[in-house]
Amino acid sequence: MKRRRATLTKKLIMTAAAVLILVLAGVYAFRHEESQAEKIAAPAAAAVDSSACIGSKEYMRANHMRVLNEWRHSSVRDGNRVHVAPDGRKIEKSLNTCLNCHSGNRMFCFNCHMYANVKPNCWNCHISPMEAP
Amino acid sequence: MIEKALKGSRNYWLWIGLLLLCIGAGFSAFSRQMWEGLTVTGMGRDVSWGLYIAQFTFFVGVAASAVMVVIPYYLHNQKAFAKTVIVGEFMAVAATLMCMLFILADMGRPDRVLNVLLYPSPHAMVFWDVMVLNGYLVINLVSAWTVLGAERKGVPPPAWVKPIIYLSIPWAFSIHTVTAFLYAGLPGRHLWLTAVLAPRFLASAFAAGTSLLILVTLILKKTTGFDAGNEARQKLAVLATYAGVANFFMIGTEFFTAFYSNVPAHMHGLQYLFFGLEGKSALVPWMWLSLLLGFGALAILFNPKLRHTSKWLVAACVGMVSSIWIDKGVGLVLGGFVPSPLEEITEYGVTLTELTVTLGIWAVGILVLTLLLKVAVTVKKEQEA
Amino acid sequence: MNEDRRSFIKKAGIGILAGIGSAAGLFPALSLEKTVLPAWDEKPEPGKHRWGMLIDTRKCSGNCSECVAACHFTHNVPDFGNRKDEVKWIWKSSYENVFPTASQQFQSPGVTERPYVALCNHCAEPPCTKACPTEATFRRWDGIVSMDYHRCIGCRFCMAACPYGSRSFNWRDPREGIKLASTEYPTRMQGVVEKCNFCSERLVKGLDPACVEACPEQALVFGDLNDPGSEIRKLLESTETMQRKPELGTKPSVFYII
Repeated sequence: MKRRRATLTKKLIMTAAAVLILVLAGVYAFRHEESQAEKIAAPAAAAVDSSACIGSKEYMRANHMRVLNEWRHSSVRDGNRVHVAPDGRKIEKSLNTCLNCHSGNRMFCFNCHMYANVKPNCWNCHISPMEAP
Repeated sequence: MIEKALKGSRNYWLWIGLLLLCIGAGFSAFSRQMWEGLTVTGMGRDVSWGLYIAQFTFFVGVAASAVMVVIPYYLHNQKAFAKTVIVGEFMAVAATLMCMLFILADMGRPDRVLNVLLYPSPHAMVFWDVMVLNGYLVINLVSAWTVLGAERKGVPPPAWVKPIIYLSIPWAFSIHTVTAFLYAGLPGRHLWLTAVLAPRFLASAFAAGTSLLILVTLILKKTTGFDAGNEARQKLAVLATYAGVANFFMIGTEFFTAFYSNVPAHMHGLQYLFFGLEGKSALVPWMWLSLLLGFGALAILFNPKLRHTSKWLVAACVGMVSSIWIDKGVGLVLGGFVPSPLEEITEYGVTLTELTVTLGIWAVGILVLTLLLKVAVTVKKEQEA
Repeated sequence: MNEDRRSFIKKAGIGILAGIGSAAGLFPALSLEKTVLPAWDEKPEPGKHRWGMLIDTRKCSGNCSECVAACHFTHNVPDFGNRKDEVKWIWKSSYENVFPTASQQFQSPGVTERPYVALCNHCAEPPCTKACPTEATFRRWDGIVSMDYHRCIGCRFCMAACPYGSRSFNWRDPREGIKLASTEYPTRMQGVVEKCNFCSERLVKGLDPACVEACPEQALVFGDLNDPGSEIRKLLESTETMQRKPELGTKPSVFYII
């Protein structure tokens, strides 16, 4: 009798531990990251500054998907359309910001994505550099 | 224990094969739908929910009806139900699975279904519906499987199963109440905006679900020799009868409120369904058929001599299930969209693709039920031997 | 099956699941550097503005559909030529359709024979946003009931909830129904719901909504309902106006002068 109860308790504890690990992992994986900078009070709308990209080439290559995701959330859902680059420039959080600068190359996004076999569904809705007049 | 579903007679495998064929056809129709969009169904801007949501609503009811056997057996120790409980619980599992598949089939972007979990919205009834349906599936599957497993080993079930079974009782009520709340809280749809919708859903669910359960036990008796017992069937028939009476009484009260108050918004939905509105009357024959089948079923069930005759009992159960299937599916869901918020009438016509997907999902549910019942019947037969 | 084998398989299964779960959670986060998005500039103050529209139906003529054309062109709204797949953000209808709960008895023919423009009312207490299970449709800080097309799962609950029939669904790929593609606004994709957005993308640039700008009679007035000095507020105070189905408690932001 005693032995059977001990096995049951052990099973319960192990199952609970496994569930806890899964839940924690899930929550950690899907948490929405907030940025960790201070608020800066600033006036009116931002202009597109074509002198430089919002970040370095290496940074953008690794993170452009997260930048776009966070920009999307911020401008669509929070109403915060102004991105302040590390050097202080104010930039509008919009896909058009990227596409207006990189307008020379019709295959801008597609070159890398085709090579890497990545198929994001941006162009189902957004008008791609290939389609822009 | 699942290995018991992998051994069967030739007829068993032919049946599985037929179901797999239907699933294949449904899957093919679904991929067409995924590719071309939901335009391949009969739904449109004015009638934006159709056959899929109608089936979903009906089968949530069937799933909830398992409580009609769980309460008497587990709460009140009515031993007559002993052999029906496992059938009812497995039927609930299959029905819940079908509900979830119908939702997936109806969604415009099923690839984004996890958004419901990633962005929980407690103010939305759909969110709660997803939660309670998944919970109900797990509860019933775990408790039924565990009890069956214990029976197979010839030991009493483990102690932790009892609280889960007790939990399934209010949970069953909650799944159908939440589903009713999907409809009953929408201010623009006056056919649905009624407090009586949730009680009516429960009543019709208990009538249709128990009738379906009676039919399934009869099918099991014929195909496997496993008999849940006539006493159990008669008790279920009584439950179905009074649930059916409650359902029709509530339809009656709906008619009274609508037509005595003379408020156009309240009347229009019922007028369209039962009498036609502005010349559009495609659903009128369906609704009267539903009433005829329902009252016919009740007439049989109230007559003790007929109720005890197998042929008449089957007819009554088929009548009850069909009546409520039409009422909840065709009537309720389609009728809610007529007239539109701009008082326009658009009629809905089902398409072949839609029907095929529906058939495929039905086949999935019946396949799951077949496999689970094969295990259950084999185990119970071994125990009797 | 052997009891030891069964319990081993069970433990291994749980262990693998737990392992995959934690790996999925931990590894991607470790491999990518955190993106640094400095400064939350200009986060708008919720409730400061409340956009609204006043439609002077006396100025609306029977033959003109400039507002509809402008809106549908600017936003790449598809046209499939059939009622079933129809997508519309703004359209003309009649008095009995737009105001079904208002009195239909002995109204002057001047009132009942006029066209009435219908669009999303951007309600202050919208039933559609309550119904959305993913908050793909939500009420913004400035009163606009917005659609996040990226999040929409296409359940069409909001369509059932809207008491005004303002919402459309993309039953098929919208690109097949767009003859001239405007580059000012993206298209949507198959399987999501869409509706009027009060031209939020134009408001950000300080422009009026496309329909307001296009109306040759200036029958549409757009402004901030929370600003007592705005043109729309002045007109609302000086003229008798009507709203669609006010008894439902949705508090629409669109007003009609009859």
